[in-house]
Amino acid sequence: MAAASSSDSDSGLTESNEANSKWLDAHYDPMANIHTFSACLALADLHGDGEYKLVVGDLGPGGKQPRLKVLKGPTVLTENPLPALPAAAAAFLMEQHETRTPALALASGPCVYIYKNLRPYFKFSLPLLPLNPLEQDLWNQVKEDRIDPLTLKEMLEGIREKAEVPLSVQSLRFLQLELSEMEAFVNQHKSKTIRRQTVITSMITLKKNLADEDAVSCLVLGTENKEILVLDPEAFTILAKMSLPSVPVFLEVSGQFDVEFRLAAACRNGNIYILRRDSKRPKYCIELSSQPVGLVRVHKVLVVGSTQDSLHGFTHKGKKLWTVQMPATILTMNLLEQRSRGLQAVMAGLANGEVRIYRDKALLNIIRTPDAVTSLCFGRYGREDNTLVMTTRGGGLIIKILKRTAVFVESTGEVGPPPAQATKLSVPRKTRLYVDQTLREREAGTAMHRSFQTDLYLLRLRAARAYVQALESSLSPMSATAREPLKLHAVVQGLGPTFKLTLHLQNTSTVRPVLGLLICFLYNEALYTLPRAFFKVPLLVPGLNYPLETFVECLSNKGISDIIKVLVLREGHSAPLLSAYVNMPVSEGLEAA
Amino acid sequence: MGLLDRLSGLLGLKKKEVHVLCLGLDNSGKTTIINKLKPSNAQSQDIVPTIGFNIEKFKSSSLSFTVFDMSGQGRYRNLWEHYYKEGQAIIFVIDSSDRLRMVVAKEELHTLLNHPDIKHRRIPILFFANKMDLRDAVTSVKVSQLLCLENIKDKPWHICASDAIKGEGLQEGVDWLQEKTVQSDPVCEDMKR
Repeated sequence: MAAASSSDSDSGLTESNEANSKWLDAHYDPMANIHTFSACLALADLHGDGEYKLVVGDLGPGGKQPRLKVLKGPTVLTENPLPALPAAAAAFLMEQHETRTPALALASGPCVYIYKNLRPYFKFSLPLLPLNPLEQDLWNQVKEDRIDPLTLKEMLEGIREKAEVPLSVQSLRFLQLELSEMEAFVNQHKSKTIRRQTVITSMITLKKNLADEDAVSCLVLGTENKEILVLDPEAFTILAKMSLPSVPVFLEVSGQFDVEFRLAAACRNGNIYILRRDSKRPKYCIELSSQPVGLVRVHKVLVVGSTQDSLHGFTHKGKKLWTVQMPATILTMNLLEQRSRGLQAVMAGLANGEVRIYRDKALLNIIRTPDAVTSLCFGRYGREDNTLVMTTRGGGLIIKILKRTAVFVESTGEVGPPPAQATKLSVPRKTRLYVDQTLREREAGTAMHRSFQTDLYLLRLRAARAYVQALESSLSPMSATAREPLKLHAVVQGLGPTFKLTLHLQNTSTVRPVLGLLICFLYNEALYTLPRAFFKVPLLVPGLNYPLETFVECLSNKGISDIIKVLVLREGHSAPLLSAYVNMPVSEGLEAA
Repeated sequence: MGLLDRLSGLLGLKKKEVHVLCLGLDNSGKTTIINKLKPSNAQSQDIVPTIGFNIEKFKSSSLSFTVFDMSGQGRYRNLWEHYYKEGQAIIFVIDSSDRLRMVVAKEELHTLLNHPDIKHRRIPILFFANKMDLRDAVTSVKVSQLLCLENIKDKPWHICASDAIKGEGLQEGVDWLQEKTVQSDPVCEDMKR
């Protein structure tokens, strides 16, 4: 039964069996030391010789040394240091004429670095943001030594709270400083002009006026300033500027810039905004229940991965189509496009080391990898059209090639009842004894009922008696009048003659504190000594647990139980709370002492 | 012409015709190898990626080869099997400097060997570990290891390191192919009947 069910789950197309797999293992290097994300991977024919290279904006181990790496086949071809951590990498054609080598764009900080033929070609910087005139005025005054650092600080703080234009980085840094450091900072920076700049968070390409493979593309940038910029591919001027209510982190676009395009931006506030040509503001908004971790467009469906381990499909108007639950956290997502068969699917790298491939709701394939995959890229690499490049969390590089004969078919595996239905219920068996007992019950039912009822009356009587007795001697640890239970544990710390005894007192009323109670221990003085057998309890605040501890010293090594009483102040000796507990017999410690 | 042909055939001047399939991935150097085997006055100067396939002829000392120079591009690879029946020998070319696609070459070789038209015929296979002049090329021993050539038990095979631009290693391969074809030829003829 078990064997049959396991082979059942393995059948269909989801198996990663070597012989039946759709993928050829071209390369696996666990020591490749590539730490990056899907956004920083790009495949491009950088030299125009038909041999596609892999461009990696590498963060470096621990995000310390950002580098631009270009891989040819399994080996690194070139490696250049980058000035700041890369945010995204893209390859695009800048102009129609000339040789058809694409330019490489790497977004990092407030700049986009353009490389042509792997040489630095152009640096585009984001335009400066408008400054607060008051702030500018203040720094001008500082330049002329008209105000001292302390007044500057006060006035800047005033601006920060009131003005709608935020302060520049320089002012914010100044506000952080200690008094002693201010003077030096002001002297050092007063001559510089203050500037406010933003940072690029995401970048994609958008075809300008042709949908062809080798058409000129515009760069689309998402900035920390909640804006989306579309750049001209040749002149690097800003063609369009759109604003969003939140910071975009994933962008996806379809169409052409000059004709009509739809831009989807997944933002940090957990919403996806959809913009169209000529709309400065979002046209539609999709509200997700959690943060997006990836955004991929498949034909006309926007697929979003959320932090709740699920993929959602939306139309371009923001209507939800489907949801698929993943078995683990989604780390990265990308598009798989097999042009020869016209297939577009979504790949999702999961934290359990799987890469799942979905076409709409249908699972097409699962790739199991030795480490969790953090970035995915599918396309033409080297000379092979259908290559999947993956990098793992540990910095490894995995390259797989899709077989020429492989066809993705939706798995028809999950037909029939779920496997849980096949498990047997554990219904206990009945023996001869049970049958005999039922026979007896059938014959002498009346007598059994009567005697049981009599016993029940007796039981109730005895229980009520014992309860009244306990109430009279106040043995129960719960008290209804003062509303405070007394919990007592003997914390047997130390085996020797001395024990530490802790009483836990708690006031269970909602608002009424209990005023000064007294605690009195009653015990056999022949056997134990207590330093304080009688003390005051502090005011009991409702809800808190008060541990009150005393030291009990045993005089004999015979085990004898002791009763400890808690008495309510000014209420006489009625002892509303009381518990009894048993001391441990003392070991040889007493004899030795 | 017909008379002349027959006459030369009778005299034993006419060489025996052998059909050879030249297979391998795109950019491995199939057309360049075939071109280099032709007499120097018939060689073409520039080689462009083959579309579909070309039929070329060249002669060795005792045989006349007719080569089906197939395109190795992914979309044309399904044409290969249409010519398997005619093939009396196979030349399989591998780009030794392309480590990444060695698995693809292995996969294509595997499907080739398991094809019903090839599987039960004892036809000789000549491998060229081509592009030996490149810096990141692997040796022919390593290539045969990567392609698991030792698993081919029922067919005579041979691997040569070659540099198709200079023509190094090609003659050795053709000599071997000629020897094996002559040996296996009667077998081939028997199977055809």
